[in-house]
Amino acid sequence: MSDRPFFVFPRWSDTATKIILAAAVLIPVYLVILLGYGANARTLNVNYQPIQPVAYSHAFHAGKLGINCQYCHTDVKRAAFAALPPTQTCINCHAAIAPHSAALAWIRKSYKTGMPVPWKKVNDLPDYVYFNHAAHVNAGISCLICHGHVNEMTQVYQAKPLNMAWCLQCHRDPAPFLRPRNEVTNLNWTPANKTRLAKDLGLTTATLPKNLGKYLEKRYHIPNSKLLTDCELCHH
Amino acid sequence: MNRKATLFFLIGSIVMAALIPLAVIADRRYERTDIPRIAIIPDMDKMPYLKPERSSDLFADHRGMRPHIPGTMAREDFIFDNMAEQRAHPNNWKKDHVVLSNGKQFQRVMYGQVLTNGQASFINHIPIPVTRRLIARGEEQFDIFCAPCHGYNGQGNGTVNIYDSELRAEGESREAGTWVQPSNLTLIGVQALPDGGIYDVVTNGIAAMAAYKDQIPVVDRWAIVSYVRVLGLSQKKVPAYRLPATVRTELTNRK
Repeated sequence: MSDRPFFVFPRWSDTATKIILAAAVLIPVYLVILLGYGANARTLNVNYQPIQPVAYSHAFHAGKLGINCQYCHTDVKRAAFAALPPTQTCINCHAAIAPHSAALAWIRKSYKTGMPVPWKKVNDLPDYVYFNHAAHVNAGISCLICHGHVNEMTQVYQAKPLNMAWCLQCHRDPAPFLRPRNEVTNLNWTPANKTRLAKDLGLTTATLPKNLGKYLEKRYHIPNSKLLTDCELCHH
Repeated sequence: MNRKATLFFLIGSIVMAALIPLAVIADRRYERTDIPRIAIIPDMDKMPYLKPERSSDLFADHRGMRPHIPGTMAREDFIFDNMAEQRAHPNNWKKDHVVLSNGKQFQRVMYGQVLTNGQASFINHIPIPVTRRLIARGEEQFDIFCAPCHGYNGQGNGTVNIYDSELRAEGESREAGTWVQPSNLTLIGVQALPDGGIYDVVTNGIAAMAAYKDQIPVVDRWAIVSYVRVLGLSQKKVPAYRLPATVRTELTNRK
């Protein structure tokens, strides 16, 4: 009796130790993956596609008909806010085309009463960010960079994460994102079309700059990245 | 043996269960959803101040942006017009102030009309300097606001008109509605109008065409007038002898 030890680990404790050790390693790894994957801006922000009161299709109006963004969002090059069009803009055409369409019920109601159509905002920034459309568009940043291929969206959804880390990619080095100012609303623009590029820049195909981004950065007086990453620039 | 199987089953279930949140996240990441964004740390994302086009409970109709009071003009409208003017004539910044402070010139620029003996008539010429820059601006603005209906060449067959003819051809007359083909801007009917008359059409609309004064600032409208003239001149049939010598030789050499 006396030579028996006070306590003996039972046989299953070998397995239990292995399991506990494995769990101690795997559970933190799992949590890191879960948080990193689940809580990042791409997961949380992208693909928000609210159901709008009017099933307005950008794919049809801006894509098939090729109407310029600025026909409706008129103030984008002049104001901080790219205004939604007033109902009158819809009525410009829809007084004649499809005037009785059921899809346009809200438009007719709004035109009659003067009350705005309750559109839902898709691309929204936190209220402590002061984004200025005019500043970006006039600096050669296309609608495409932040809104994606809206001309292919039947219903608009958020295409880019629009979080601060994402903004900073461009604010640290804007050159690769720039294009000629008069092509910002052309969502199918490509720098490969040399003749068009030369016309846009007022140059000839022979005198085109080797590095378009750096050239535009200089031409449009884009501030250096030190100023572009100043907190006060966006959070004033 | 039985115990070992139970253990495997248990661990297996836990691993499978652990995959469920990952699958949910993957779905959330690639599928469109009308569930609003989830803010993990929502502090100050939404503040009570009024952003453009946000609704407000301060007013009974919840419109945060207030409609125009008749007979008034928003300060921004004035500034925008001035800015467009400034862009059109970068060297004439001072002149802009003259344009807007001189009553008669203001009338010419704003309404395209003059009063003679109490009778209003359209002015014949664009009342601001027509520069290459203004015409280029006109082309840009024409392509945005006029081309959808009148076409890029101004001949009245823009994409909207093409779509409407397609509807008509398919027998969808109810959808096609009361649309009439926009006028051909290059023909004499439009080109014979005085500059002030074309400006007035852009500003206040005519027949089925809507007024564009809320969409296009004053100077851009004049820029469009200048470009409508360009479209008319460039597509007019002229006798060959009136062409420049270089163009004539080029045309005769072309087979």
